[in-house]
Amino acid sequence: MFNKAVSYDLLWESAALEGVDESQRWILAGMRKHGHELITLLWRILGNEQDVCDAYQTTFLRLAHHEDGLKPRWVKAYLFRTASNAAISMLRQRIVERKALSSVMQTIEEAPDALIDVNVKHLTENLRYHVAQLPEHLRNVVMLRDFGELSYVEVARILGVSVGTARVYRCKAVQLLATWMNKEANQ
Amino acid sequence: MRLLARGQTTYSQKDKPAAGRCRQIRQRLADSMLQRLGPEAPWVQRHVARCPRCQKRLAALGKVDLALSILKSQPHRLDLLIRANTAAMRMLSHRLREAKEAAKLEQARPEPGLMERCARYRISATHLAACIAILFLTKAGIFSSFDKAHTRGSAALKQYYSTQAGEDVAREVFGA
Repeated sequence: MFNKAVSYDLLWESAALEGVDESQRWILAGMRKHGHELITLLWRILGNEQDVCDAYQTTFLRLAHHEDGLKPRWVKAYLFRTASNAAISMLRQRIVERKALSSVMQTIEEAPDALIDVNVKHLTENLRYHVAQLPEHLRNVVMLRDFGELSYVEVARILGVSVGTARVYRCKAVQLLATWMNKEANQ
Repeated sequence: MRLLARGQTTYSQKDKPAAGRCRQIRQRLADSMLQRLGPEAPWVQRHVARCPRCQKRLAALGKVDLALSILKSQPHRLDLLIRANTAAMRMLSHRLREAKEAAKLEQARPEPGLMERCARYRISATHLAACIAILFLTKAGIFSSFDKAHTRGSAALKQYYSTQAGEDVAREVFGA
């Protein structure tokens, strides 16, 4: 009798596990469908492969534990927003280490041949730094539109704003970035 | 005269223009605004040529554009997707990791979309379509010329018979 109860218990447990896994297959489907786009987005935000892997891992971990394993209403929106948030946190941490850039500037003086390379690196790092400083609503649009290469319609849907608002936010973000980058160049 | 209820308009559902038409008009408006008021407009260009402040602003905007383009053009390693998928998979449940799809994901490489994959065949496809079109037109032209020659030949023979042998014979040979 006891043995029977144990075996029923085991059966029930395995059936439950199977059910959970079946219901979480959408995570793998999401990874297959949006993985490449997410990697592109994270790569452009972070520019470091290890950080990209970490942010990607964090994104899917959060997805798997979203409301006790429930599928979000729109997986793509959830993935893109979570990924960009995770990436921006990492980027902000890295900004603290930005002092290292000053040593790069010293390298410019030491090796004039590498001037173009370093300038390009400096420009992109500078852009990343300033993007991280943007107000959240503007930053989200820049990240999804420019780094994620989503259409304005998709950006607007993900952020829950109108297409026109998304365009205006992007325009404001670019103006702000230009002002900040110009100010830095003048200093 | 028809009386309207509160909230009702004379603009019926049937008269509403299609959404595509609205989009077209919006696009045209945006284009013409850009032409007249955008940075490419001649009066803007003339002003920028003389105004150092605007030159600075435009240069700064250009710098942002350049930085964004550089970011977009920097490629990542091909195996980055595999590495990231493998890392993410480690955090999922054991059963999910054992699934067939998981094994595929751990070997997935970034692949271009269908449009990008077909792009290299676009020129060949265009050439093929042009050849088919030319062939079709030539064939249609040849058959139409045959028809024309046949009709004109018959008319000429009928004319000859009618002048040489008379109308009745010609009608008998060639019909009415």
